[in-house]
Amino acid sequence: MNSKGMGKSWIFAAAFLLASAGLAVAAENAPAQQAESAAPAAAAVATEAVQAEAVAAASGPVSIEFDGNATINNGGTIKVKGKAPAGQPVFLEVWAEGHDVRANRFDKDPDPKTGVRPYIFYLTEHMPAYFKIFAPTTMQDKIDAEKKKGGKWSMSNIIKELGADAAYNAPAEAPIKAYKSSFIASIIGSRGELLSDAPDRRRSMQLTKARFRDLDKVVAAQVNVAADGNFTAEIPMRKGIAPGEYQIVAHVDKATKSAPITFTNQTNFPTVYLTNAGTSMNLIYPFFLTLAVTIFGVLMGAGGGFILNPLLVTLFPMLPHTIVAGTVTPTVLFSQGSGIYNYSKIKFISWKLGIGIGLAMLAGGFIGPKLTEMITLAQFKSAFGYILLVLAALMFWQTTPGYLAKNKKEQAILKEFKKRAEEAAANK
Amino acid sequence: MKVEFWGQEFKVNMFVGCLGGFLIAIMSSMFGFGGGPFMVPLMTVFLRLPMYLVVGSSLLAIFFNTSMSTMRHYQFGNFDWILFCAMFPAALLAGFIGPKIAQRLSPIVVKRVACVGLIILALSLLGVF
Repeated sequence: MNSKGMGKSWIFAAAFLLASAGLAVAAENAPAQQAESAAPAAAAVATEAVQAEAVAAASGPVSIEFDGNATINNGGTIKVKGKAPAGQPVFLEVWAEGHDVRANRFDKDPDPKTGVRPYIFYLTEHMPAYFKIFAPTTMQDKIDAEKKKGGKWSMSNIIKELGADAAYNAPAEAPIKAYKSSFIASIIGSRGELLSDAPDRRRSMQLTKARFRDLDKVVAAQVNVAADGNFTAEIPMRKGIAPGEYQIVAHVDKATKSAPITFTNQTNFPTVYLTNAGTSMNLIYPFFLTLAVTIFGVLMGAGGGFILNPLLVTLFPMLPHTIVAGTVTPTVLFSQGSGIYNYSKIKFISWKLGIGIGLAMLAGGFIGPKLTEMITLAQFKSAFGYILLVLAALMFWQTTPGYLAKNKKEQAILKEFKKRAEEAAANK
Repeated sequence: MKVEFWGQEFKVNMFVGCLGGFLIAIMSSMFGFGGGPFMVPLMTVFLRLPMYLVVGSSLLAIFFNTSMSTMRHYQFGNFDWILFCAMFPAALLAGFIGPKIAQRLSPIVVKRVACVGLIILALSLLGVF
């Protein structure tokens, strides 16, 4: 290889990558500032409107009250009863008050008419941590029909089928940021140009699906409505939902609904609410999982992240894969740092080589986390599946006789050099 | 590029090294793992460097990637402090326990077990069963 020419070209490449990284940071900060000033104003208007409606509806024809406890302990059953105009379906809208989570979706599906792919990234920070519509029990067949579509179910379709449009409100109020992504923007790790930052009913339904993923998590047929309009419901609240206050509103149609009633979900340590993940979790599980997986990682000579990430997303389906990837990454920083320190003490690191390739990896590390947001959990899992197959092949290759013979020699040389290095460091 | 290490000089094809490192960095930061098991073969097989040069230097290269992707994940709000606080002490503890167990086990057996485990995990992720 022409090492002289290569030497110059890689310095240029590294400089280019650093410069583009700087540009991306600048590009990203600008729209974020605009968005921040707009969001509180929109939220304030939304809450005022909700309060005004609630007062107006309080005297309406729909009433709802608790039939027993208004407190649950990390999930449980809430019983409600009430009265609505006779012969009308009753929908209960239940949502977490005061705990919002982030939901995002990358829209790359071609437009059915024009065939153009929009490449727009939708993001909201204000999806309720819990949202579910409870429909009359007679509508179970409609939910079953939608469920048959598997992963292709649609929030807007099930709401249309149930006629539950009036009961879909809490997520629709969230301001949604829409970013126009471009290839260049993705390369430099930017979300792209901010197109809008306002509530959008249709998009919010797609984001609701992106956040909760399973149809069972957002709709259920649980309300028993009698012919005279009296209704009762036993609302099952799953484990792992946010602690704090939940609101229930009974809806009949757009104009007819009850005043909200509030119940509380309690959680006790070691079950803790993870603010960013939007779910409560018993922290003992991830602790022991990490311990077991990381020990095994040390034994097989690969970091624990390879096994820890897929296990976390599989075992704890309510943890978003973005949070999993973003939280596991820093846990390995420390062990890497201490490893580097130990090697550097005995001068066993080529700084030139490590920094040279490190700069290219710096650029890669800049882009990767952006891409995590753009893929769905299903894509995350299947891509990880292929990565693990490659890793398994690598592991197998390292146990083949040819590799072992070569490795034995290499390890002997490694030991020899390390000994020399340690002696040199000690003699100083 | 020429690299000098303990009195020996190595020619390194930095184009292959940087391109490979760049791609591995994208993948590892996207899916949240370290990337060591991919970096070491890249540097030993494709760059034909000896193991004793690779062990420390690959760690340094990966450290760049991990710090940057940590920053970026944090910037995007994809980092959860509480979950981190549950996992980080476990990772530290494993760093002390792991090497002690490793001395008593044959690395070949461990790797074969890992190989089977990884294939099972991969197939379940791919939805085969």
